[in-house]
Amino acid sequence: MGSVVEINPFTRVEGHGNLKVYLDGSRVERVELCLSESPRLFEALLVGRSFAEVPQIICRICSLCSTVLKVTALLALENAFGTAVSRVTQLTRELILNGGQIQSHSLHLFCLLLPDLLDLQGVTDLARQAPDLLKSGLAIKRVGNLIQETAGGRLIHPVNLVLGGLGQRIPRDSLLCLRDELDAIIPACAGAYLLFRSPFDFPPLPGPNYLALQEAGVPFSGHEFHTRDGHGFPVEAYRDFVVERVLPHSHAKSAQVFGQHPCVGALARINLGTPLGAGARELLAKVQGEIIGQDMRGNALAQAIELYQAAERARELVQELLEIGREGEGNTTVQPGSGVGSAACEAPRGVLIQSYAFDSAGICTAADVITPTSLNQGALSGDLLALAHGMEGADSERLVGALERLIRCYDPCISCAVHLVRL
Amino acid sequence: MNRPRLAIAGLTACSGCQLTLLNCEEELPVIAGSFDLAYFPMARSGGDSQGPFDVAIVEGAVSTPGDLALLFRLRNASRVLVAFGTCALFGGVAAMNNGTHQRENLLREVYGEAGRNFESFPPAPFKNFVAVDFAITGCPPEKPDLLALLGALLAGTLPPAPSYPVCTECRSRENLCLLLERGELCLGPIIQGGCNARCPATGVPCEGCRGPVREANVAQQLELLLERGFDRREIERRMSRFTPEWDYGKRR
Repeated sequence: MGSVVEINPFTRVEGHGNLKVYLDGSRVERVELCLSESPRLFEALLVGRSFAEVPQIICRICSLCSTVLKVTALLALENAFGTAVSRVTQLTRELILNGGQIQSHSLHLFCLLLPDLLDLQGVTDLARQAPDLLKSGLAIKRVGNLIQETAGGRLIHPVNLVLGGLGQRIPRDSLLCLRDELDAIIPACAGAYLLFRSPFDFPPLPGPNYLALQEAGVPFSGHEFHTRDGHGFPVEAYRDFVVERVLPHSHAKSAQVFGQHPCVGALARINLGTPLGAGARELLAKVQGEIIGQDMRGNALAQAIELYQAAERARELVQELLEIGREGEGNTTVQPGSGVGSAACEAPRGVLIQSYAFDSAGICTAADVITPTSLNQGALSGDLLALAHGMEGADSERLVGALERLIRCYDPCISCAVHLVRL
Repeated sequence: MNRPRLAIAGLTACSGCQLTLLNCEEELPVIAGSFDLAYFPMARSGGDSQGPFDVAIVEGAVSTPGDLALLFRLRNASRVLVAFGTCALFGGVAAMNNGTHQRENLLREVYGEAGRNFESFPPAPFKNFVAVDFAITGCPPEKPDLLALLGALLAGTLPPAPSYPVCTECRSRENLCLLLERGELCLGPIIQGGCNARCPATGVPCEGCRGPVREANVAQQLELLLERGFDRREIERRMSRFTPEWDYGKRR
């Protein structure tokens, strides 16, 4: 007798999705992962709009990653128009990206994933049964958000980041305040990894095909991708290497790179050697075996290492911004014209690619956005199938519990996932 | 006192309104203790999707049969329905091309022929389908607006709805007027305030993310922008970014 086990909707993730596991008796036949978020069609909405509107609109794809969505758009446009930005602008962008990393990782680790480790349902249970842990996580998250609000002028969908520069340089007293706030949470960030050391006791999962940017010049960004087995390709050529197809049951497209489903995010970055500061390297050395070469269950621990890295780096950037004089500031006037520009950044959940084309009046004629969750979709499906196979015979409550935990390991961001490259 | 039972959910949106609640880091433990967060899939598992609820706080526009079904379910199961954010109130970014493009063409542009299989209609605000009891505007909403609502709900009431344009706060902050003094396409005069003029305060013109203020003089704003040499199409593109339907009055 065939039967279906269903998870609908996914909980403690961003956006809407559901999963069906098709069973024949106790044997798992297939799994169907459906990212059911309503399509918002951003790529089509941008066509016909002025270049100046693109960064302000594109950040609305997703609230959790609105900062990196906006910065990537700015970089793509600046590539298209050949615009260089000041040192203060570069540092401020790097600072806000670190703030975004702190906010996103701490939300995932302390609010969404931690309940799984403590066998709880969500934030209300945490507030009741682990109030100190929740509060320490929220304290970290608050500082990530404070950075975003101070540097971006607004907490979600930042306004102060503009083409060619900044609306306003961060005032000195705000930087001093950020410095104190960061100093206060850095010890907690350094210890956070201890909470996320024990991966879920699942049957073995397939080995992931890590994909990340090779950082060059601009931190969080780069010109080349590289993979676990040493393949690489340049960002501008992404269309030739990232092969996507529409799935009949999902609003997100599935991507392949070099014939395999890639795996992006904190785990992939650390495995592929994205630079870490001395402090984070020291932490990594202690837990190396639990991250290097591991499957997605190691992602939370990798995020915890990055959380500390982001806090330390943000502290350095604040100091640098305090010391840099007026010679490093200023905005560049953008000269729009016909052209094509692409950029890629490491968002909290993994690689994000954007590409735009403009006509001579600076009106957008084409837009592509490839998001981390769409890149991860194939690997997630594969892992869910492997897990369901490995648990054949288990009662459906245990199966559902394990599958939900695995989904959350990926920290999916489903609003993002439905906005993808045109075929 | 019984803890009010809340349903918090999202339709076609970026989750930013729900994230605004999770971004109230200092207040969140108190909120979790004062309310029964009965249905809040973004932050808890095992919720009760059927209700009844005292209040449903819902973000996003309505653009699929699934959105509509969830909206009807939450409306029917809740004493108070709150339209949370600009998409729920006005349609928001997903609706910006409603007046100029066919939905099926947009779907085909992004998904190719597979776009035909999607059940999707032009994103629309809640008020087109159900009665809405209260609204918080903004893309994203401001934390104080949300906290004021939650505080009022605990007291068994709803907060007053402010109605003044972005310019009110912008002038009181003594910002340079981007519209009159720098000739930029700033929408401040016709947009609902309450954001403390965040964007003009950093030198960025108001993009209209909080939707129309009550009794906005849209025709006059349009006249002013045309006089300053902006192209009518450019003005309408900018105005439609968060609110596709404006009443341009005599200037139509």
